[in-house]
Amino acid sequence: MRDRHLKYLLMMPALLLVTATVIYPLGYAGIISFMDWRLSRSRVPTDFVFLDNFWRAFFDDPSFLNSLTVTATFVTGSALGAVVFGLLIALLLARRGRGYSIARTVLVLPFAMSPALQGTSFRFFLNPEFGIFDAVLDALFPFLAHVDWLGSSGWAMTWLILTDMWHWGPFLSLMLIGGLLSIPSDTLEASRVDGASAWTSFWTIVLPQLMPVLAIAFVLKTIFSFKMFDYVYLLTGGGPGESTSTMTYYAFRMGFTAYDMGYASAIAFVLALLLVGVSAVYFRLLFPRGEAG
Amino acid sequence: MALSPRRRGHILFCLRGIAIAVLLAVLLGPIAWIFLTSIKPLSDVYTMTLFFDPTLENFRAIFERPFYVGDRLLNSVAISGLTVVIGVPVALAAAYSFSRFAMRFKKTLFFGVLATQFVPPIVVVLPFFLMFRQLHLLDTWTGMVWINLSIVLPFAIWMLKGFIDTIPVEMEEAAMTDGATRLRVIRDIVLPVTIPGVFVAGIFCFIFSWNDFLYALILTKKEAVTLPVVLSTFYTEEGDRWELMAATGTFILLPMFAISYFVQRHFVHGATQGSDR
Repeated sequence: MRDRHLKYLLMMPALLLVTATVIYPLGYAGIISFMDWRLSRSRVPTDFVFLDNFWRAFFDDPSFLNSLTVTATFVTGSALGAVVFGLLIALLLARRGRGYSIARTVLVLPFAMSPALQGTSFRFFLNPEFGIFDAVLDALFPFLAHVDWLGSSGWAMTWLILTDMWHWGPFLSLMLIGGLLSIPSDTLEASRVDGASAWTSFWTIVLPQLMPVLAIAFVLKTIFSFKMFDYVYLLTGGGPGESTSTMTYYAFRMGFTAYDMGYASAIAFVLALLLVGVSAVYFRLLFPRGEAG
Repeated sequence: MALSPRRRGHILFCLRGIAIAVLLAVLLGPIAWIFLTSIKPLSDVYTMTLFFDPTLENFRAIFERPFYVGDRLLNSVAISGLTVVIGVPVALAAAYSFSRFAMRFKKTLFFGVLATQFVPPIVVVLPFFLMFRQLHLLDTWTGMVWINLSIVLPFAIWMLKGFIDTIPVEMEEAAMTDGATRLRVIRDIVLPVTIPGVFVAGIFCFIFSWNDFLYALILTKKEAVTLPVVLSTFYTEEGDRWELMAATGTFILLPMFAISYFVQRHFVHGATQGSDR
């Protein structure tokens, strides 16, 4: 039957493109990470140095070790933060009715907004002299009036996480609203008749039912948090000092301001391996024993 | 416990209302503030005032030397548009194949395609920079469309496969017993029902490539610069030109407004379908 050829033919363009756009570059990056290649000095790789770049990263570069800690802080904070924020939004807006469906339209906007634009504008909003966020926060919390939000390392990281939450929370909530609305209403009704408070039924019925969606949202968000670049570049510039310099940002700096291609590739590769490791653990937890398909 | 259930209901209703209002203010406020800033005269840009004479001066300024936002806008539209036009049909063909045919290693292959999404863009962009340098594709539409396909394809395949999976296969089988060829079945039966899914996948692909910053920052320089990258050029030596960023930002945001309506519908429609049974 002709389907035998057709099924591969239909798939071929996509597989070729995916290979050309991801798998081939990945292999290429792997090879470069074993090379000494400073673009400022040479147009071609100069030396095969085997594991030198990786050795330098882990034993000879405090900035790299710092980027590991920064990445861990950001990923944990933003993944947890965005999922919790998304859950709160979902609990507020998971109702039927015209007003609610209009409100839900708004939820797409932060996600559809370019992260680059969000980074630049939030930077202005946080300016201590003429920023709108700064003005509002100073009015609400006078004891924080003296804070230079992006000038202190703790606050810069906090705002990096909050900026990311603003982008992702509403989007994740759309996933969660789907889950919430599909909880049969008679189950909730029954528990109310039995005298359970809203608080109890949240913990005993809603949360357990929502767990699968919450878990997937958390895994997805973790992966995207590892990949985040735009906010660091435009909101904090990795600073103050190196307090928000994530691995992605550090690899970028090594590659495109220091033009050290070999070292940058090595860092990027460590990041990729880390991501593979983390996702493998997650998927093992999510789909125990090969239920993945 | 002194409150009657009815009073309690009222209070809860009010609290919910306040919470929703705060939420909407937090989500919409920043976007509204960007719009407002874009039409403020320079003298009011660095103040909190809500009362000012609206002006289009900032928009005039960004289209002129040295920013040329008009050219960048064209680049953004062309690159995102081409990415969608190439990416979606390619993804649709693959998605159909993944959904309908049995083959060896299908699961592994499908998971492999999805797994490419876990690869951080910074890993991909370094070799691309070096490759494009040799192929003379730096700073071109071709190069940008190529790399944008890497963001878009796996996602679109996954989304479209899910969509095709929900279409009953019986109609196709019936048509084929009547002697129609597979390609004809795809064109006449599958394609018409898949249009809404194709539309949503197209929208998502457009958003992703429209908002891409990292690839454009590294792989473009002058000719193929896109809108998000222009934003970083407003951190100038004479200071940060916030009003010009806001005006450019307005152009970045406009298509997203049109789009967000459809995206929301897709999500909630898909979600509520199951529960209304």
